[in-house]
Amino acid sequence: MSDKSKEEKVSTTLFQKRWKKFKSLKRGYYSFIIVVIFYIFSFLLPFFVGRDALIVKYEGEYYFPVFKFYLAETFRQKEVQGEANYRMLKEQFKQQDNDNWVLMPVYPYGPNENLLDELTEIPPTHPNNVHFFGTDDRGRDVLARLLYGFNIGISFSLIVTILSYTIGVSIGSMLGFFGGKVDIFGQRLIEIWSTLPFLYVMIILSSILNPNFLLLTFVLTLFGWMGMTYYVRGEFYREKARDYVSAAVSMGAGNSKIIFKHILPNALTPVITFLPFAIVANIFSLVALDYLGFGLPPPTPSWGQLMSQGMQNIEKWWLIGTPLIAMFLTLLSITFIGEAIREAFDPKVYSRLR
Amino acid sequence: MKQENILEVKNLKVKFPVAGGILLRKVAEVKAVDGVSLELRRGETLGLVGESGCGKSTIGKAVINILKFSSPDVDISGEVWLKTEEGEVNLLSLSRNEMRKYRGQIQMIFQDPYSSLNSRMTVGQIIEEPLLYHTKMNKDERNERVAWLLEKVGLQAEQSKRYPHEFSGGQRQRIGIARALSTNPKIIIADEPVSALDVSIQAQVINLMQELQKEFDLSIVFIAHDLSVVEHISSRIAVMYLGNIAESGPGSDIYHKPIHPYSKALLSAVPLPNPKLKNKERIILTGDVPTPMNKPSGCGFRTRCPIAKPECADSVPVLELKLPDHYAACPYVSGN
Repeated sequence: MSDKSKEEKVSTTLFQKRWKKFKSLKRGYYSFIIVVIFYIFSFLLPFFVGRDALIVKYEGEYYFPVFKFYLAETFRQKEVQGEANYRMLKEQFKQQDNDNWVLMPVYPYGPNENLLDELTEIPPTHPNNVHFFGTDDRGRDVLARLLYGFNIGISFSLIVTILSYTIGVSIGSMLGFFGGKVDIFGQRLIEIWSTLPFLYVMIILSSILNPNFLLLTFVLTLFGWMGMTYYVRGEFYREKARDYVSAAVSMGAGNSKIIFKHILPNALTPVITFLPFAIVANIFSLVALDYLGFGLPPPTPSWGQLMSQGMQNIEKWWLIGTPLIAMFLTLLSITFIGEAIREAFDPKVYSRLR
Repeated sequence: MKQENILEVKNLKVKFPVAGGILLRKVAEVKAVDGVSLELRRGETLGLVGESGCGKSTIGKAVINILKFSSPDVDISGEVWLKTEEGEVNLLSLSRNEMRKYRGQIQMIFQDPYSSLNSRMTVGQIIEEPLLYHTKMNKDERNERVAWLLEKVGLQAEQSKRYPHEFSGGQRQRIGIARALSTNPKIIIADEPVSALDVSIQAQVINLMQELQKEFDLSIVFIAHDLSVVEHISSRIAVMYLGNIAESGPGSDIYHKPIHPYSKALLSAVPLPNPKLKNKERIILTGDVPTPMNKPSGCGFRTRCPIAKPECADSVPVLELKLPDHYAACPYVSGN
């Protein structure tokens, strides 16, 4: 009896139930774990993939080039101008055979590093033992660019999605909650705004201003928030008519309490369900913009830019193949996540509990 | 002994506009409540009965002033006087903000125990919410009060950490009652509190409400369509038909010897538990309830009334005193 009562005391929220259901959908759950681990790993990339050495021991002193910039003169590297070249340094130290040593990352090539001096052929070069995915037409390592591009792509699309959802949810809940004239005029304004052609605005803006990360997030957010307002507005209309909201009014709750404490937590289902798909869409639009040349400024590593190089050198399959496969896998696993979330939130399973 | 009135509704009218056409102009209106006057005496239970759509729930929601929130276009007129310690106040003249001050004194129990509790909040959070708005209790005092209330309504104090979906319908309605009682209100509007429950649970909830009424000195407006339930709990009953009160008076009087032809028909439809008692005559009304969008002129009941006369179409009948404290809105019947 005591066991049973203990079990009963463990109370689950609706969210916990949905999380449990999500975990039981293996395809989506494993995709989620893989994408999250990859994304966290991509922030630590400089420790695994990069041109800067992790540790340099030079004449009894330790240097940490990953964290700090050192001129070539620091290590008396005469052939090099500007920043030290640690791969060359490693070779030198090996030949000198003294106490000095260099610890390089596992894959010692940076995403923006020009390797023309080291390459024996004219770039783009084929994949080989040194450059697993070959190099691009400026002699940069493709694998490094792909990995860094993953981080930038996901970060960018997360920021854009969160910003545009914040705006969409706030405006949508305002329309749904206040209703009446606010709703009618607000919706007409949103409809007018939605008719602005995004791509043309982007082309015009990037010909006047230099596109950078901030400008791109700003413009994509500006054109991406409208869709969510419709769903949140509808949710608010539905939830507002339910008894628990009336009960809150009859208790004397103010508008802000009713919106944030009562309706909003119950109106977030479409937001969470659409979130992964919005992230997919935003990764895709960044790739598309980069491909067309209106995206992030060079030499930012980006998949779209690699693909457009691949289109110009169509016989160099690794230039177009690798980013395509990388994008395919990323979008597929995020779509799996979205699918699992949608199923976990399906009200049919829990309709009895509501 | 006649107690003083704690709540008085005077000539309450509630009209919902019906929008139509491209421009959504008002093309008609639904007179959900059409000139209702009621009084609730201190410590009594007023039963409000009538079939679906006659406006009983609308009266409850209008009294507690939450109609304007869910349907902002509604047109409400009349007066609702609440007796407070500082004197009487007309609730309908107050804005939503001004009304908040009085909400602690008049609370509501909702019909649907499933949708009236926010599924994202624990039972403790649900019950303590009115305390946040109407008292200055700190966290410990609120927890203590929640535990005390849960035990009062027959649940366990430890259940305050649970979520509503872990409870049955009857238990949820108990939670709704605990929430309504948390601020020590004087008046409870119970909007069909048992109609969504099983019959066996209905009895439990009604007995609980009766016990709590004595303990908390509550005055209750009990809205229902189940006559036997209303007769059991009410000291006075008002029978409604199509937005008007047909008859009002002491509970047992109305239940055992109704005067108005509509109440007679309504009460003859109550099933008798004893099959050997067949002496009661069943009155079967013809036709359907007219739509409140297009009410008949004069007496609303005349289209189905067995004793209707041509004069019934001329004027709306007023409530007349037929027996002591017993009113009926029909000039052609008498109390004897």
